[in-house]
Amino acid sequence: MANLSVNLCGVALKNPVIAASGTFGFGREFHELYDIGTLGGVSTKGLTNELRLGNPTPRIAESRGVILNAVGLQNPGVKHFIDYDLDWLKGTGTAVIANVAGKTLEDYQAICETLDGKVDMIELNISCPNVKSGGMAFGIKPETVEEVTRVAKSGLKKTPLMVKLSPNVESIATNALAAQSGGADCVSLINTLTGMAIDIERRKPIIANNTGGVSGAGVKPIAVRMVYEVAQAVKIPVVGMGGITRAEDAIEFLMAGATAVQVGTANFTDPYAMPKIIQGLDAWCDKHGVKNVSELTGTLTLNQR
Amino acid sequence: MKEYQAVIVENKEIANGICSVTFALPVATKVRAGQFGDIAVGGTHLLRRPIAICKVEENLVTFCYQVKGEGTQRLKEMKVGEETSVLMPLGNGFFVEETEKEVALVGGGVGIFPLISVLREYAGKKTINAYMGFRNKGAVCGLEEFEKADKFVGVTDDGSYGEKMNSVQAFAADLEKGYRPDVVLSCGPLPMLKALKKLVEEKNIPCYVSLEERMGCGIGACLVCVCDLSSGAKARVCKDGPVFNVTEVEL
Repeated sequence: MANLSVNLCGVALKNPVIAASGTFGFGREFHELYDIGTLGGVSTKGLTNELRLGNPTPRIAESRGVILNAVGLQNPGVKHFIDYDLDWLKGTGTAVIANVAGKTLEDYQAICETLDGKVDMIELNISCPNVKSGGMAFGIKPETVEEVTRVAKSGLKKTPLMVKLSPNVESIATNALAAQSGGADCVSLINTLTGMAIDIERRKPIIANNTGGVSGAGVKPIAVRMVYEVAQAVKIPVVGMGGITRAEDAIEFLMAGATAVQVGTANFTDPYAMPKIIQGLDAWCDKHGVKNVSELTGTLTLNQR
Repeated sequence: MKEYQAVIVENKEIANGICSVTFALPVATKVRAGQFGDIAVGGTHLLRRPIAICKVEENLVTFCYQVKGEGTQRLKEMKVGEETSVLMPLGNGFFVEETEKEVALVGGGVGIFPLISVLREYAGKKTINAYMGFRNKGAVCGLEEFEKADKFVGVTDDGSYGEKMNSVQAFAADLEKGYRPDVVLSCGPLPMLKALKKLVEEKNIPCYVSLEERMGCGIGACLVCVCDLSSGAKARVCKDGPVFNVTEVEL
């Protein structure tokens, strides 16, 4: 039995495996299948100050090895989450990471103030590709990444801040540095890559929103490369995600520099994906004589060219 | 809801483009009529395919599906003896109240299969009229199941089998003759459901429809497969549905 626990900017996680926002709701449905208290953390469905109904359907499409989604931040609003889901989710024993989004700087500050001290960590969604007003405006340019991070951080006295980065940018490492300058305690990446899938019979995009965020096994090499670049650039911890399906995938991200990982789309393919990844991490560590999973972080060495 | 490692014991085409696959689960199971399963088809397909459960006998579960895209094509190609993961039963399903004695089933296309599960659960306990619409004669299937109905009317879009009309028109024709069921249960293409909604709301007959939507997780977590409720709220087709009171849902 390896020690799988990790410390993510002061937050103790039982293991480095976190449910990715948007694929896991607030955890209740998956808890019908297994004890989600065994997970390192749960990043909640993206929360906004007010309830949001999201995009029209269809909201999802499939392409070989990946999926595209455009849910559009449907959520019951942060107050509803606090009143109905937060205590339950905390009670499971997993670390609660509230994923938050907003239209304006004031929105981000307000929602951070609302949640400060109530959750284990905030994940700032500044990169939702599916909603014009979902913070994407802040997530592209390093100047605005830094600004929204600083404003969000000003609303937080107790709870650490993770900033979720978009891959649909000129340089994700530059944006990671901007988040660090703005006061982020850690960064998570990658959010989905913007894509399109076409129904050739109708000559229209399958997804009602026309474009959607691409995720799933097929995006993993892109995500690993970006996590490596960001981990090289910043001093704060990095949480890696993008296509993680098995323990071996998670280990790639850890070696590339991630302290923890998030698992999203794989939960759709196999609802038990995360418990299996945790088990697989333990087995891999044992087999390779790794006593603490945290020893793996950043151990990649590049080939000599 | 459970995940089963299920083995295919039969997988065959039962009509043009319509297939029936039967899985053996490790244990006997029970489902409610109108519930569905989410079948992993493997390969490069990350999404499971949500498919209506047509029949359950002990540990044998039969799903019927239309071959529409790569995922259902892959399911069609899966061989007897092949094992895959099936998450089931999912969704709320149809429920007929004790007081509802006369039940009308109105189905179209692959929408007939969840209604066959209703027939299997309620035949002999209720008086059931079944109105089923098919594209053409080649698409007609499930007739041996509809023998269980007290009355069966099969129609086609082109008149190659039964009368040339859709199942809502066939049902409406009987209403004109004075037929009045206690409840209508339906599943089929959206235009059909819209026509049925208009009809039953005019006649003030209780009606429940099973909806179809592209799904993500299949268990209610991802909010991909939502529909609009008349109240202005959204409902999850996979978890809150797929069966909705027709007066409470926007089609």
